[in-house]
Amino acid sequence: MQPGVRAAIPAAAFLLIGFAGPLLMVLGYSFMPPRTFSLAQAPTFANFISIVTDSYYLSFVWSVFLSLIAVALLLVISYPVAYGMAKMFGPWANVVTMIIVVPLLVSENIRLFGWVLVLLKNGIADGSMQLLFGVQLPSLLYTVPAIVLGLVYVYLPFMLFPLVIGLSMVPDTLKEAASDLGASRLQIFREIEVPLAMPGIMIGCMLTFILSLGSLAESKILGGQTVIMIADDIESAFTFAQNWPKGAMLSVILIVFSGSLVFFLFRRIDLDRIIGRR
Amino acid sequence: MFNSKKTRRNFLQQTGAFALAAAYGGSFANVANAARTDELNIYCWEGYNSDDVLDPFRRETGATVRAEGLTSDPDAVNRLRAGETKVWDLINLNNPWAREMMWPEGLISELPRDRFEPMFEKMMPAFHPPYEWAMDKTGEHLLGMTQRFGPFNFVVNTNKISRATAEDEGFNIFLDPALKGKYGILTYDNWNIYHMCVTAGVDPFKKHSKAEITAFTAACKQVFSGAKILTDDLVAMNLALINGEIDAYFTGGTYTSSPARYDGANQVRGITPKSGPMNGKGGIVWIELTSVVNNPNPSTLSEDFLAYVQRPDVSKKVAFAEGTYNPVTQMGSGEVMAQFDKDELDAIQWDTLEEEMANSTDYDINPDYAEMYDIYSAAKRERES
Repeated sequence: MQPGVRAAIPAAAFLLIGFAGPLLMVLGYSFMPPRTFSLAQAPTFANFISIVTDSYYLSFVWSVFLSLIAVALLLVISYPVAYGMAKMFGPWANVVTMIIVVPLLVSENIRLFGWVLVLLKNGIADGSMQLLFGVQLPSLLYTVPAIVLGLVYVYLPFMLFPLVIGLSMVPDTLKEAASDLGASRLQIFREIEVPLAMPGIMIGCMLTFILSLGSLAESKILGGQTVIMIADDIESAFTFAQNWPKGAMLSVILIVFSGSLVFFLFRRIDLDRIIGRR
Repeated sequence: MFNSKKTRRNFLQQTGAFALAAAYGGSFANVANAARTDELNIYCWEGYNSDDVLDPFRRETGATVRAEGLTSDPDAVNRLRAGETKVWDLINLNNPWAREMMWPEGLISELPRDRFEPMFEKMMPAFHPPYEWAMDKTGEHLLGMTQRFGPFNFVVNTNKISRATAEDEGFNIFLDPALKGKYGILTYDNWNIYHMCVTAGVDPFKKHSKAEITAFTAACKQVFSGAKILTDDLVAMNLALINGEIDAYFTGGTYTSSPARYDGANQVRGITPKSGPMNGKGGIVWIELTSVVNNPNPSTLSEDFLAYVQRPDVSKKVAFAEGTYNPVTQMGSGEVMAQFDKDELDAIQWDTLEEEMANSTDYDINPDYAEMYDIYSAAKRERES
């Protein structure tokens, strides 16, 4: 056995037990009869069939739909900020980074509860509007837009920082050359900047999409479960429903869906490039 | 430690030795802990994990007492099933779980009747021994001690809906078009299912006919489609009730309304319907039971802790630990009652407690829970779509 392989054994064993093991158990449970707690039974497709025939597609559709909206908004919001941080702010970029990173030190739930106080009827937003302009706002909390707001707010850093890296990989000299050769600003943006920053854009989109897809707190705390996200269904299956196999199958479907997406995207972008090895 | 002479080989050797030592150390530690006279691990609904309750016991025994709050009975039972009987010494759950599941599955151990039954004698009359939920089905084994309890049905803002109207109408108010879009559902799923049954005019605690399941399905759909807010957060629900976002919430009682009431919002009131489908009764009451976990390495302090929380001052601390406030069965004793002031009694709706208990039936297991859960969760998913 080569020394390299031998030295990798502890780490590989650790990964196998700590990472692959639990995933395999989830996979195993997903084929066990509904509402059972043992892995030593004849496998069945009952969970898959019940998920497909029941209305779980609604949760999947809502999760994918809200994640797509969140990703689109995050891209639009983060791109200019990332551009500024990569190209314009100079030393101030660090200050912006700090401002964005510091809230990450506070638990997500607490930050979302902060928004509850802002959006609540007679809360900070509504109360201020009443006091200053005598206008009563419509109910903001427990709505679909409130969930999207939560997703955009919580996952902003996960879009912003990959974008900053992506945009900083675009050499200014190329843009200057293009400009000298008569390219318009829109052409430079479309044909130079975006293609060269694409790895960062793709990674940002993928990270935020997958995080949103598995999100739970936003729809629970800000959305008042106006819609049920798929993570909510998974949690319920494992807790109140006492149906581990169904929860496991829902998880497997979600993992396969997001895994395929990652696989597909990684075939299209070159990771070596983004880390700067080439 | 990291000197410059370190080579990769001796680093690996040292790491290997360290790993081995850690592994063996771990098992030695287990052997050393076999007696477990200085450690107690409690898995409980919030309140018992409060330092107000635990600190005096820690001081008296010098033991390390750890407590973790739980958020759902079935989830907690699952954790014991998954092997956490090795971790916990005491478990505090609602009444049916010990008798119906944990004892038959060997997850809990029995208590010595001679030591603990006299403590039941001092409780409120309804809990005098032999108290059904504290005993196994043969009536021979004592499975736990009762303390907190409370009626659990729905909650209204009495400035919007009078107590009398709510009690007379019962869960029907949630089917009234006038309340559509003006109520929330506190998503304690297992409780919601019981209350949806009651709304449908069906006794939740028996085997159900096809017609009853159909009625339950219709009630689920209607209650969900009329709800403005769904949350499992009782504080958010009380807040919505107080600031006028909603007028009532489905599933709730003393446990959820007491924090708002103790804060002065006395218009928040748990309601027990005067009549309903459970042998004429319309309300449900939960009773917590704290049991000794069948830990292969049991702590010697488990029973002492159960005796400790029966003391009058500690009973009061359990009733008014942070989070939620609840009546305790020990309020049958004058010594315990003397610990409560008027505001505290008002927070837990002491004035109507006896009447509410008389209109309630005990929380139990629903034989059709699995089937009803699927119907319930589908109604929840489909409500806006």
